[in-house]
Amino acid sequence: MSKLRQILESGQFVVTGEIGPPKGVDLDKCLHDAEMLRNYVTAINVTDLQSAVLRIGSMAVSARLIERGLEPIYQLTCRDRNRLALQSDLLSAWALGIENVLCLTGDHPILGDHAEAKPVYDLDSVQLLKAASSLNQGYDMAGHELESVPSFFLGAVVTPGAEPPEPQVIKMKKKIKAGARFFQTQAIYEPEKFEPFMSQVSGFKVPVIAGIVILKGAAMAKFMNANVAGINVPESIIQEMEETKKEDRKKKSVEITARIIRQVKPLCQGVHIMPLGWDELVPEIISEAELG
Amino acid sequence: MHATIQKPIDEILGYFKPRERVFVVGCDNCAAKCRSGGIPETEQMAKRLKERGVDIIGWCVPQPKGISLCKLSNTAKVLQEEYGEQTKQADSFLVLACGQGFHTVMDATDGGMVHPGCDTIFGGETVNDNFITEYCSLCGECIVEYTGGLCPVTLCAKSLLNGPCGGAKDGKCEVDRTRDCGWQLIYDRLKALGRLDEMYEYRMPKNNSRWPLPSVKERQLSDLSLATARLPVTPRLGEFQARSRTKDEQAKTNT
Repeated sequence: MSKLRQILESGQFVVTGEIGPPKGVDLDKCLHDAEMLRNYVTAINVTDLQSAVLRIGSMAVSARLIERGLEPIYQLTCRDRNRLALQSDLLSAWALGIENVLCLTGDHPILGDHAEAKPVYDLDSVQLLKAASSLNQGYDMAGHELESVPSFFLGAVVTPGAEPPEPQVIKMKKKIKAGARFFQTQAIYEPEKFEPFMSQVSGFKVPVIAGIVILKGAAMAKFMNANVAGINVPESIIQEMEETKKEDRKKKSVEITARIIRQVKPLCQGVHIMPLGWDELVPEIISEAELG
Repeated sequence: MHATIQKPIDEILGYFKPRERVFVVGCDNCAAKCRSGGIPETEQMAKRLKERGVDIIGWCVPQPKGISLCKLSNTAKVLQEEYGEQTKQADSFLVLACGQGFHTVMDATDGGMVHPGCDTIFGGETVNDNFITEYCSLCGECIVEYTGGLCPVTLCAKSLLNGPCGGAKDGKCEVDRTRDCGWQLIYDRLKALGRLDEMYEYRMPKNNSRWPLPSVKERQLSDLSLATARLPVTPRLGEFQARSRTKDEQAKTNT
């Protein structure tokens, strides 16, 4: 049983991290990033062609983490594979020792570096969860029996800051019914808005892990506010960043991130830290947020 | 109606061999409404090609007024009888119409050489003289009963069947922030209709085997209802049953 599953099922608080596979075949940098997280997180998400940009696959990188004794959360999107490929990749992942799977829709190819690619979406994220649950029960989507059976720990994503929130909450319910056993959220910067969302979904009794993106500067905050769905960095945080001298920015970043974590901690069952390259700050953030 | 857009003139010019004699054909229904192959556009295309040195031996937009080029009997009569003198001399036809009209000219000229002058973009509702809007993708498995009459296969950039992705911002789609998120529209409408409960239901993945290419859609109109009845009809609602079908059950659904 994966450590992530053990911790979440025992009701404990969890910390997860994230690495992005590189565009190329040299994994040194990305495995180094993972190494930085080793003593601070339970499991590490490995993104699946994040932003629809061609990179090495999440399955290969997840397998390399396992070799090093690190636990991956294999991200699998519906963007690039039909139902045959999705199910086959799930079986392959299990054969490589992957247990935690995060099922996502996936950014549209038009946003990435192969805009001309055919968007597949043969399944949506709810249907993918259902298919993976079916594999867990010993059957493929067509109802044929498997010769041997995996036991995936399935997760999904939710955007608490979506406006309006109701369609997200409805879909979250469907994902749970389809087999999602944990949720990771879009980045949270406004704990006061996360609270009403959590009170709405806490009755679902499925662990929610709050997404935390390390803020690198005011420009990044403004960019996310303008372009990324469900993210709203409040003006006060942008101002804090703007008033910080360049050499103190990482320190400020640790301070803000740790503060948000302390605020969301009582509301949910974990935090998912997305360092976006600033992995060396994670230990300090963990200690300042009193998670260690 | 089938929405079409004329191809760039340079692409069309690249089709023709030296001294090829070309007859230009338009459509008085959809392509006329799209202003890509009505009478003025077809005449204009013949003129533009002539100016660029193409041997144009004639043009026509089969009448009566408003008729579709894809009506084979009419198109064959017009091309072979009314314009028979000219079309007999033609080495090829340039068609300013949708892909169906294009093929109709091929059939109407007993397999003549036909060049496409338009790209066929979608099937749509003729909202007014200036707007054609796509609401249906002709997928062959209509689910709009459960989505407030708005099709997620067509209106959602990812054709998602179980609700919105996380990419919409202020009700606009992640692929184009000027366009509405299809699921936002569906949510708003279901809510207004008092049918939001539909959104909580699990929707099964599409059955891509139901109308496979290439031959299933090649039916006589009179046979279509029969053909539908004969095809295995998969229930689209309710829970996905993860279990093997017995041989008997398989046989039952195949008859």
